[in-house]
Amino acid sequence: MKLPRLLLPLFGLLAAVATATPAYDFYICANINRNYVIGSKIVTTNGIFQRTDEGGWRHFGYNDTSITAVAFDPRDRNVIYTTALNGLWRSLDGGATWRICNGWDMTEGREVAVDPNAPDHVYVAFTDGIAVSTDRAQTLVRREHGLPERGKFTQTIKVDHTRAGRVLAGCEVGIFLTEDGAQNWRRVHATTDTVNDLQQSPHDPKVWVAATQSAGALISRDGGLTWTPFSGVPTERALYNVTFDVTNPDRLAIGSWAHGVLTTEDGGKTWTSRNAGLPENPRVWRVGVDPAGRLYASVFQETLFHSDDFGRTWHPNDLAGSLVNYFFTLPKAAN
Amino acid sequence: MKASHFFRSAPALLLAVTLSAQPSFEGPAPVVTSVPAEDQRLAAYHARVDEVLQWRAGRVDLNNIPGTMDMASISILLTLGRDIEACNERVLQMMAEPGTGPFWMFPAVCVAFTGRELLSPEARASIREAWRTTRQLRGDTENHWVMYYASLYLMSELYPNEPAETWYTGRSSEENLAEAREWLIHWMDTTTTVGQGEFNTTHYIGEYAIPMLFMATWAKDPAMKQRGRMMLDWMFAELAAVSLNGVLRGPNARSDEGSVIERWNALASYFSWLLFGNTPAPQHYGGWGLYFAPMAKNYVLPEVIHRIAVERDGDYVQRDRARTRRFWRYSDVLSPPVYKTNYLRHDYAVGSTQGIVNDVIQAHVWDVTWREEDPRGKHPTMFSLHPHSSGRMMQAQFATHPEPMPVGVTFEGKPSYDSPDKVLGGSPYEKVFQDLDTVIALYDIAPGERFEHINGFFSKDLCDLTEDASGWIFARGGNAYLAYRPLAPYHWIPYLHYKGGWAKVRDDLGGQVLTSPHLKNGTIVQAAGADEFESFEAFKAAMRALPLEFKLEPVPSVRFTTLRGKNVAFTYGETPVVDGVPLDYAKWKLFEGPYLNAEVGGRKLTVTHGRLQRVLDFNTLTIKDSVRE
Amino acid sequence: MKKLIIPFLLLAVLVSAQPSFTGPMLAPPADTRPDTLRRAYHTRVDETLDWYLNAVDAAKPLTREQALVKLVRGQDATAVSQRIIELLSVPQSGDMFWMFPWTAMAFTGRDQLSPEARAAIREAWRTYFPMRGDTENHWVMYYASLFLMTELYPDDPGETWFNGKSSAENHAEAKGFLLHWMDLATTIGQGEFNATHYIGEYAIPMLYLAAWAEDPAMRQRGRMMLDLLMAELADNSLHGVLRGPNARTDDTSVLERWNALATYFSWAMYGHTPPPSGYGGWGIYFAVAAHHYQPPPLFHLIATDREFDREQHDHKRSRRRWRYSDVEMMPVYKTGYIRRDYAVGSYQGGVTDPIQAHVWDVTWREDDPRGVHNTMFSVHPHASARVLQMYFTEYPDWMIDLLASQGKPSYGVADKILGCSPYEQVFQDLDTVIALYAIAPGENFQRVNGFFSRNLRDVTEDASGWIFARGGNAYLAYRPLAPYTWDDLLGYRQLPRGDSGYVWERFRPEGPVDRILVSPHANNGTIVQAASADEFESFEAFQAAIRALPLEFTLEPRPTVKFTTLRGKKVAFTYGETPVVNGRPVDYARWKLFEGPHLNAELGSRKITISHGRQHRVLDFNTVTTSDYVTP
Repeated sequence: MKLPRLLLPLFGLLAAVATATPAYDFYICANINRNYVIGSKIVTTNGIFQRTDEGGWRHFGYNDTSITAVAFDPRDRNVIYTTALNGLWRSLDGGATWRICNGWDMTEGREVAVDPNAPDHVYVAFTDGIAVSTDRAQTLVRREHGLPERGKFTQTIKVDHTRAGRVLAGCEVGIFLTEDGAQNWRRVHATTDTVNDLQQSPHDPKVWVAATQSAGALISRDGGLTWTPFSGVPTERALYNVTFDVTNPDRLAIGSWAHGVLTTEDGGKTWTSRNAGLPENPRVWRVGVDPAGRLYASVFQETLFHSDDFGRTWHPNDLAGSLVNYFFTLPKAAN
Repeated sequence: MKASHFFRSAPALLLAVTLSAQPSFEGPAPVVTSVPAEDQRLAAYHARVDEVLQWRAGRVDLNNIPGTMDMASISILLTLGRDIEACNERVLQMMAEPGTGPFWMFPAVCVAFTGRELLSPEARASIREAWRTTRQLRGDTENHWVMYYASLYLMSELYPNEPAETWYTGRSSEENLAEAREWLIHWMDTTTTVGQGEFNTTHYIGEYAIPMLFMATWAKDPAMKQRGRMMLDWMFAELAAVSLNGVLRGPNARSDEGSVIERWNALASYFSWLLFGNTPAPQHYGGWGLYFAPMAKNYVLPEVIHRIAVERDGDYVQRDRARTRRFWRYSDVLSPPVYKTNYLRHDYAVGSTQGIVNDVIQAHVWDVTWREEDPRGKHPTMFSLHPHSSGRMMQAQFATHPEPMPVGVTFEGKPSYDSPDKVLGGSPYEKVFQDLDTVIALYDIAPGERFEHINGFFSKDLCDLTEDASGWIFARGGNAYLAYRPLAPYHWIPYLHYKGGWAKVRDDLGGQVLTSPHLKNGTIVQAAGADEFESFEAFKAAMRALPLEFKLEPVPSVRFTTLRGKNVAFTYGETPVVDGVPLDYAKWKLFEGPYLNAEVGGRKLTVTHGRLQRVLDFNTLTIKDSVRE
Repeated sequence: MKKLIIPFLLLAVLVSAQPSFTGPMLAPPADTRPDTLRRAYHTRVDETLDWYLNAVDAAKPLTREQALVKLVRGQDATAVSQRIIELLSVPQSGDMFWMFPWTAMAFTGRDQLSPEARAAIREAWRTYFPMRGDTENHWVMYYASLFLMTELYPDDPGETWFNGKSSAENHAEAKGFLLHWMDLATTIGQGEFNATHYIGEYAIPMLYLAAWAEDPAMRQRGRMMLDLLMAELADNSLHGVLRGPNARTDDTSVLERWNALATYFSWAMYGHTPPPSGYGGWGIYFAVAAHHYQPPPLFHLIATDREFDREQHDHKRSRRRWRYSDVEMMPVYKTGYIRRDYAVGSYQGGVTDPIQAHVWDVTWREDDPRGVHNTMFSVHPHASARVLQMYFTEYPDWMIDLLASQGKPSYGVADKILGCSPYEQVFQDLDTVIALYAIAPGENFQRVNGFFSRNLRDVTEDASGWIFARGGNAYLAYRPLAPYTWDDLLGYRQLPRGDSGYVWERFRPEGPVDRILVSPHANNGTIVQAASADEFESFEAFQAAIRALPLEFTLEPRPTVKFTTLRGKKVAFTYGETPVVNGRPVDYARWKLFEGPHLNAELGSRKITISHGRQHRVLDFNTVTTSDYVTP
């Protein structure tokens, strides 16, 4: 099944938001494995789940407790990439079979991103740097020129949807930018601890936000060149991730072990703790917003919760005992 | 006649197999003796191997195959050529639900190879199919990767020329083989140049020895086979050189709550028992030990290593290099160097690193461990530590967020990690210096750290514990005299013992923890042999007379003249000075001592005992045995 | 392949007295992983032990071998102790052949036997006076046994040993000889090289040293010598069958090449040929300690890999000459050429061992070599009291008769095909052999005997003067240089021993008999050219190719040959002169101790490198060091 090449897939989402049935597919990477230790038999189903039209979750792909992120080739939904403990995996047949793309010199993939404007180009964040493929991950090479020798633990990597080869990476010592397909990197913002998440606004591609371990949440309004902290977001504890609401440009949410869910509905001017209905002192692992504006919060080894009023009230969803590592939205595949 | 020991015990051993569930665990402690005659050494070794095989095979109930047959017992039955039909049945059952990582892979390899001529085509096919269908995690530790790649290597050799779609990796046999081979060589190269990361581990030694035995036994490529043999020699030579009567003591890159106290109760003791016959076997042969046994007869311990283990020429100092686990972040160096000092005598041993977080959870930095004729159930050790627990330090070595792991690991075999009274683990706020049998450990704990005190372990097995007016605490352990000097006020709390890393409950077996709730702190320990003094009182008097000056502000600093007459000066954060000469860690070799010697970067270990010498040269893949005439 | 063997063996042990001897041919394990080789090796060793145990008859007393095997298996120590006391309660005999079995008994039983039995063994070493013998193998057995027993009883005084020397004195003397012998063997070569039978008399003592010597250096030396012996066996054997040349063989082994104790070791080590009947007799004494040795996998590869042709040149030495010779030990220049279907081997001729030497042959591969006389060669049937005196101390007059009574029946007979001659000179290039003879007047016997096996096919006396034949998958061409007749070769049958030792009679074997080409001319010669059937479209094509080869020869005044071999080499060889190949004289002075694809060593080096492909083992007797390495 081939899709027409979409240059700006997420902007494509906006137009469709109003339609009754969301014209998007919504995926999560979830592990349901309380106290799993490496080597033991996996007794639960883990990995990539797609939300069904009925609101349930359909697992596909391989059963792996360590998947951290998923990405698709915008031209062909059957081409799927996942990062996991072993590194980067790729499927060319919609998840039926997989190939590990890295050798022993790369491990513990943190995030994978496909360049929508150069879909053969795949960027991978690793614990010790960044690797790039220009052939749909058949081969992977490190591209770290400009990254420090130490301090290049890379937790997150995102491709600018507006320009091929423009990529931001969140590392141990700051936010790094490349504009030439990772041939050269430069630090655009320094941090003392890891940058945990980067997101590009689906409403204004110049707007980026970051969640960090000890510098709070940051916003850039110039495509990631300069960054300023959100006032009102605490900095003393780690923020795990941040998400936009594709249905509302003023809405963002932050997930945090220490603070639970923080939301803003005025573009970040004010932030509110939104934990009512969540377990006491919720250890929020990740938050995500689906294309219809439903806010999700994964509470550490509890379950997945959802909120249809952007965090004011929460309701248990499925996937009891789960840990969601990744939320991902993209245009619905044609049947 | 020395040689007669075995043959007195061997028939008894064989007899005992029929009388006792696990003779070497339940029977009397072996008499440690050198067995110079090769045939007797080999026969004794084979008798021990057979004990393991018979014990496990004897626990198989053919009326309860699922409940009594695991992959170890399948491999053992196949090795013994017994109950093949039951093995076929159980293999089919187990391969219907494969495991997911190195700890499943190497047992599956063991079954695949021991059964490659005996299992039914269906059973063999089910093993092969599991390697297509089930994702195998590579893991995130050195031992995980050794198990993973050795297993992948051997299976790819067993099933060569098979296409990518027949393997879980999506790579062909040749691709898997090449990747595995490359990493294994890389690992051996690292180990033989700058040292192992998981050095002297009380448990994980098995996770290295078993894959290396499999390589030595089953690899088709003669070079890989040779590498496997050489790495086995390397590890066992080190085990022999740093264990006291077969008991591995500190320092350890990784240990666990049980082994760090009941020093004998570790998988390492299984290898000491099996290879050297100088200590009782742990219960159930340490569990994983069962996977070494089926192929154990394919490895013959070189006499030179046997002699190092059982026939010490006298007191000796062994100084070695190792490296820490990889620091993904929050460190200027990926794997900082570890400087190990070991001093072994007949009645006790003292060992330490310089004080470094080589493993964030399970490191054990230093101790004095004394000899017990029967070490079972004994806690023959003394040490202190800062109970460090830190999400940030976890992040340094794991790809994790700061909060989940300190609690999470307590459910993953590290139950005490976040406990204030823990006695396991390293700390970035501990610096250690050792000269012969003197240890000085200094602490400068940053304010705001989770635990702002240090713990000193005082065993239930100490005798005549005396808090002396001089500030020294004196005690006797076995045939060793011990003096412990806390540098700050303290109080006592009971020591509660975890049987092991996975223990859910703590037992009050006796013993105390000296808790000193001061950020700037320190411990001095001096050991001596009881036969050096006329009486315990004489030892105490000698200790009281030793010149000692120390201060804790602005940083802990000690000047001390040791029992051996050395003037040592050690200040937290500074290089220790002995008799006016600063210690030069830059000159530390990979191994340096009477038995093991190797240059950093040399890829070449010389193992020596008396006239015997074995050189393991990884540059030329050469094992060189020579005897001085 | 391996999986076919083991079940067969397990089954066969139950149904057959000696499974691998009576069963079908064995294939070597295709899988050379150490555990596979180890299991196969131990299975073969256990078969040997089981064969002796299965023969135990409760109604009969245990034999010495049965008693020893029971000790190895840890069985019936009390009964065995009693039996040992009985065995030693009568006068003993056997000399060094007594010493090593009782050494094995002493060590195997040292912690099982009753004190009385151990004392009986110890006492026997005081009361029985074994001879040291007069051959290299005798001395090796004698001194290895003495070395071990004096280590087992280290501090005993002279009066407790048969020779009146203390343990320390005996130990020092034994060590002195053993080191001297190893030194000789690793600098200029063994005297009793490639012996079809006596290999056991070296391998067994070396195994005992490797297993039981307390001195680690001697233990290491034992292992190293064992390695050298087994590697050389692997290298010289054609699918497990040791062929010529041989410093010593016997009337049976020289024809039925497989039927030798050497084959027991090929079987036990490498499993690619059946063992001889009764495991060669002495084989059990290796088996009882065999678990303490295992040839490294690379030896298996040398033994079983015959897919490429290979040439090996080695240096050996003759037996010691006490008199009538300018040199104490004649240097021996050995050539071996081994192909898949046949092997050709020789040394330069002359007397290495006066009675049992075998100078050259072409031996072909038989899928099942049992009972097959798969060899071709010629000899001068030399029998000379003076030459015997060269090596022995006896007087001349009765020695020839004496030999027959001592088990060498063919020595003094004209149609013998065993032995060497001072009047034979041999040259080999690849698979061409030229043997020239100039027999002195008055010598026994004025003839040359050519051996033509009953197993040859299509023997054709061609008008060209060549005799063509097929042996297995080999084509053979034999050119006598002088007129000849044919005789049938009779066998030797042992009659009941008389007062003066063995008594023999000749007999005509049933079925087809071997023939001897008898050429009753003092100046004489033989040319043999071998080839593989695969090289030619037909046997006729081979014959045509041979006929076309340029050949000139004369017999007077001395035999001389100019021949262009099937391999295109122009060779010229005159009796008493250095052979010339393509115009260049062969330079024996450059012969190394070992030179070939698998074994290499410099003369005088004490250092042998054993190789196959990427795998190497170096035996360095200078530093008593074994090095195993693999080239990446």
